[in-house]
Amino acid sequence: MFKYLSKMGEHTVEISVATSPSIHCEKFFGKIENTFQVPDLKVNILTSYGSSFTDYEVSIKKQVDKITFQRSDYLIESTPDYTSATIHVHDELALKHALMNLYSSYIVYHNWGLIIHSSCAVQNGKAHIFAGHSGAGKSTAARLSEPRDLLSDEATIVKITEDEITVFDSPFRSELQSTGYQQPSPLGGIQLLHQADTNRLEKTRKPDALLSLMDKVFYWSHDPVETQRIMGLLRTLVEKVPVYELYFRKDPTFWELIS
Amino acid sequence: MVQFIQKNSFDATHIEDEWIILDTEQFTVTRLNELGGFCWLKLQEAQSVDTLREAIDQEFGAVCEKTSIDNFLSDLMKCGLISHAI
Repeated sequence: MFKYLSKMGEHTVEISVATSPSIHCEKFFGKIENTFQVPDLKVNILTSYGSSFTDYEVSIKKQVDKITFQRSDYLIESTPDYTSATIHVHDELALKHALMNLYSSYIVYHNWGLIIHSSCAVQNGKAHIFAGHSGAGKSTAARLSEPRDLLSDEATIVKITEDEITVFDSPFRSELQSTGYQQPSPLGGIQLLHQADTNRLEKTRKPDALLSLMDKVFYWSHDPVETQRIMGLLRTLVEKVPVYELYFRKDPTFWELIS
Repeated sequence: MVQFIQKNSFDATHIEDEWIILDTEQFTVTRLNELGGFCWLKLQEAQSVDTLREAIDQEFGAVCEKTSIDNFLSDLMKCGLISHAI
């Protein structure tokens, strides 16, 4: 068992992990210098849990002093404010999904922001999100965005305040691994993806944008209070940032439409 | 006189000129325009067709046909957003 400090979003995370040849925590939790800062989250990771991934079904149980999320390949036991948790995992995929589950719960609970099912690339200091249903082209858009810096290719970490919307480097990658910690960038816009023969960009009305983004948020709990928080965060997001329908062909020319 | 009132467990978001009503138990979404949203807020307390009609007149200075309000309430009932007030 070893212990170290890491960063997720703007939060300091203290990791305790059992040594295991099959789990590489550093993929998700790069080590940072000890700044003597009090960690925002403490995560204890244990291995050899359950069986391989079967489906996304997560069973949630709430008690007064504890909340648990259970899937065939992971179990999260957390304090109700998500500041301290033990994660039992079967393998690395389970670890990734469990960490997303925990961190998403943490940032929504603390009204900090959302994890959005999307990729995100940076141009001229501004982050641009590419969201869409499965197969719409999030990873393709990310690949076609090279050599721009990528903040995410699957799950984008977005901090939402009344003053500013900021995207942080996401450790939750699918194909395109992070090339090192990218600096956070202010969000310039959100593109809802549609593959097409020609490139076209259309501004989306805010109510439509809010509805389109609702099912792109990674979230597990069905607590009405937290659902209200997500709606509040999404409302602020679409009030502050333009959202577009992007019809794009599979080459980098769609970037010509994005300012 | 028949009265109607909001059911519980809703989150209402006002954005631009629309209201998005999310049923946080059934996970259904209903969109209302500005006038619909005004009526929705009134329905936090029991309302009849007549009291809604009067409220619309006071707020917008417009006389709304009873059948329009009937239809609106009937739609909200179908969407599971309101029930009869007892």
